[in-house]
Amino acid sequence: MSARALLPSLAALLLAALLVAVTLLLLGVSPTRAATGLLDGAFGSPLAITDTLVKATPLIFCGLAVALAFEGALWNIGADGQLIAGAVAAGGIGPRLASWPHPLAVSALLLVGALGGGAWGWIAGWLRARRNVSEVISTIMLNYSAAQILAWAVHGPLIEASRAFPESSAIAASARLQLYFAPSRLNLGMALAAVLSGLAYLYLYRSAWGFALRAIGRSPRAATFHGLATTRVIITTLVLSGALAGLGGAVQVTAITHRLYEAFSPGWGYEAIAVALVARLNPLAIVPSAIFFGALDNGAQAMQRAAGVSAVLVQVIEALVIIILLAFDSAAGRRLGRGLLSPATPDSAEVDA
Amino acid sequence: MLVARGICKRFGRTVALDRVDFHAAPGEIHALIGENGAGKSTLVSILAGRLAPDAGTITGADGPLRITPGTAHGVAAVFQAPLLFEQMSWEENLALGGFRRSTRLRPEALAAAARAAHDLGFALPVPGRRVADLAVGERVRLAILRALSFAPRVLLLDEPTGALAPAEVEQFLDHLGRLRRDGRAVVLVTHRLGEALTVADRITVLRRGRKVAEVPAAATNERDLATLMVGELPPPLAASTYEGAPAVLLSLADLMLEKDGRRLLDGVTMEVRRGEIVGVAGVEGNGQDALIAILAGLAAPTAGRLLTRGALALIPQDRDLDGLILEMPLWENLLLLEPLRRRFAPRYWLRRRDAVEFCRALLARYAIRAGGPHDPAAALSGGNRQRLAVARALATQPEIVVAHDIARGLDLAATRELHRQLRQYAESGRAVLLLSSDLEEIFQLCSRSYLMSRGRLRPLGPADRQAGRFGLMLSGAQG
Repeated sequence: MSARALLPSLAALLLAALLVAVTLLLLGVSPTRAATGLLDGAFGSPLAITDTLVKATPLIFCGLAVALAFEGALWNIGADGQLIAGAVAAGGIGPRLASWPHPLAVSALLLVGALGGGAWGWIAGWLRARRNVSEVISTIMLNYSAAQILAWAVHGPLIEASRAFPESSAIAASARLQLYFAPSRLNLGMALAAVLSGLAYLYLYRSAWGFALRAIGRSPRAATFHGLATTRVIITTLVLSGALAGLGGAVQVTAITHRLYEAFSPGWGYEAIAVALVARLNPLAIVPSAIFFGALDNGAQAMQRAAGVSAVLVQVIEALVIIILLAFDSAAGRRLGRGLLSPATPDSAEVDA
Repeated sequence: MLVARGICKRFGRTVALDRVDFHAAPGEIHALIGENGAGKSTLVSILAGRLAPDAGTITGADGPLRITPGTAHGVAAVFQAPLLFEQMSWEENLALGGFRRSTRLRPEALAAAARAAHDLGFALPVPGRRVADLAVGERVRLAILRALSFAPRVLLLDEPTGALAPAEVEQFLDHLGRLRRDGRAVVLVTHRLGEALTVADRITVLRRGRKVAEVPAAATNERDLATLMVGELPPPLAASTYEGAPAVLLSLADLMLEKDGRRLLDGVTMEVRRGEIVGVAGVEGNGQDALIAILAGLAAPTAGRLLTRGALALIPQDRDLDGLILEMPLWENLLLLEPLRRRFAPRYWLRRRDAVEFCRALLARYAIRAGGPHDPAAALSGGNRQRLAVARALATQPEIVVAHDIARGLDLAATRELHRQLRQYAESGRAVLLLSSDLEEIFQLCSRSYLMSRGRLRPLGPADRQAGRFGLMLSGAQG
């Protein structure tokens, strides 16, 4: 996995920026003003920078979850549900940990979150490996299930003591990840995410399991022929993938929200697919990719204020990046991208003269 | 009529074609021969409009050709790896050919296809089968039928006979003669010199991207052509010299395999002993895949016994789909084989440096032309991919090597080199089981051989060498 593989992503980014700039010009808006506003909101002050990182954190966890599964051609669309499952597990036991020492309580919370997400991933993995149910369908449906379970929980069993608001009781103080950089909300979750991206890289490219996973992803037929494509690899991968997303949910609970409520995830699990694709599934590149998406989310309001452009524009940018990237991946786009970015390399069929 | 002048084509730093002139004239069979990597397939792809040349012109009967894939210019091609709609049934694939332009194959079109198949002596596959499930030979036959269905003025055939049975080849070549009489132009890529000499009117020899000769077939012979193609040929193989105890290493006893109510293997019994190369001849689709699946441990026999003494390594028939993962680097491709995986990933981590070094040494030892262990397998030419697959299988010194159709698409020199390696391996006191549809290969290399037909195995004796009778049986036309 070389840095070169990321060139199409950068090209897509620049092209998307260019297209948006042209559109803004046509609308009579200064693109520089919009860009300055966006950058200012995302990186203009120490607080803006840390908030960008905070927004990027769940995207890293979910992005890693997506990348891991996608490398094995397991199309896990369920990071959102897995994140929610992890958050529900963490938010559920959080209020009961008051008597626990701080490090233990936080660890327990994170562990439970990972288990919750892992369990959610396991369902899809088991269905795929044992019953040949497409993981695309099962994970999407499990997203809805998770969201409904969360809604039910905060209206029912987990509702806070006064029973006035549809949200869970706050988790115990001992189980909260301390904000060492207050007033910034920056927390150790970001560090954990960065460490995990390194571990995910080692897992994928240096471990025997990662090798099997990549072999399955690139050629299920050859992997089967050589006895690599086992149900164990499929299930383990979706459990690990779910655990990563679940961990992201738990970090969000312990560091930021301290409680559960209905619209807990704004769709991180879906945005993470974009994050992972832009990173070309390379775990190390997930971190900058997530920060890029986090910055767009974070700078959107400032851009709206500065340039009078609707904050929704950032979603247009995100979508454009993905569409352009996919266009690069299509046959014609690949040829174009190849011509633009690197000398021609022969297709396998063509060399076989 | 198709005239190509000064065709150049490069892939990165590799020059595939260097100022090549070529023409296909009506009423003429023009054979294109050359070693692996000589540029034959590239030239066919360019003539067919699948690739654009970097330089040069192609002129058709109606003037210069704009490169458009498809059959607009009356050109139809059968590529070495047939281009078919994998997820559709074979009938649908024919329907998208010229028999009838429709997504559904009408009865009359199917009848036309059946007539064409009959003319060619081809058996049609089981109705309704997906192309992805067809064996190599069936796919090639299908691609040929599809190409003929367009009634092309120019027919390009890239190594069509490699996957056909001898009896089929004969009938197929006869049919080419009929096309010639109809005034059509036929371009036949082949590495079988005898075939080129018997059927073609004109022979063009390519060598490393250059045209080295264009001669009337009547004015040349096998020896001259071989010299033009490769320079000097290595000497033919001598008999095996293993003299140790002939202990049985692999024994199959009354093996049965049934799947979806079909009997794929029917009482297969054989033994392979130390120092032997045992051959299994037969047309693809007669149970070879089932036998391989059982030997690979991918399927359990319905009944019967399989005994192996010592490790068994497989060289699969389809190196690109089963054998290798083209996107992965060479050193990782080595790890696909279980013994090497155990060696270089004994527990949790890959022993990357060791594996890369091992790969480097293997590339050097087997003279595999590659940039290095980190090159993706896709960067290798077909012959070098096959060399890698063989090197990988022999690398762990297994007691038994099972080789399935390993010479497919390889030229003379590369084939002989592979044969020499297998022979040497057997002589070192191990055993080789060779499955092949090429009779010459079986008789040349094997100490004993069997014929596989409709899931059954029977021993072949010297009398079976009478090619005519044998060919008939081989194609399954007779019990």
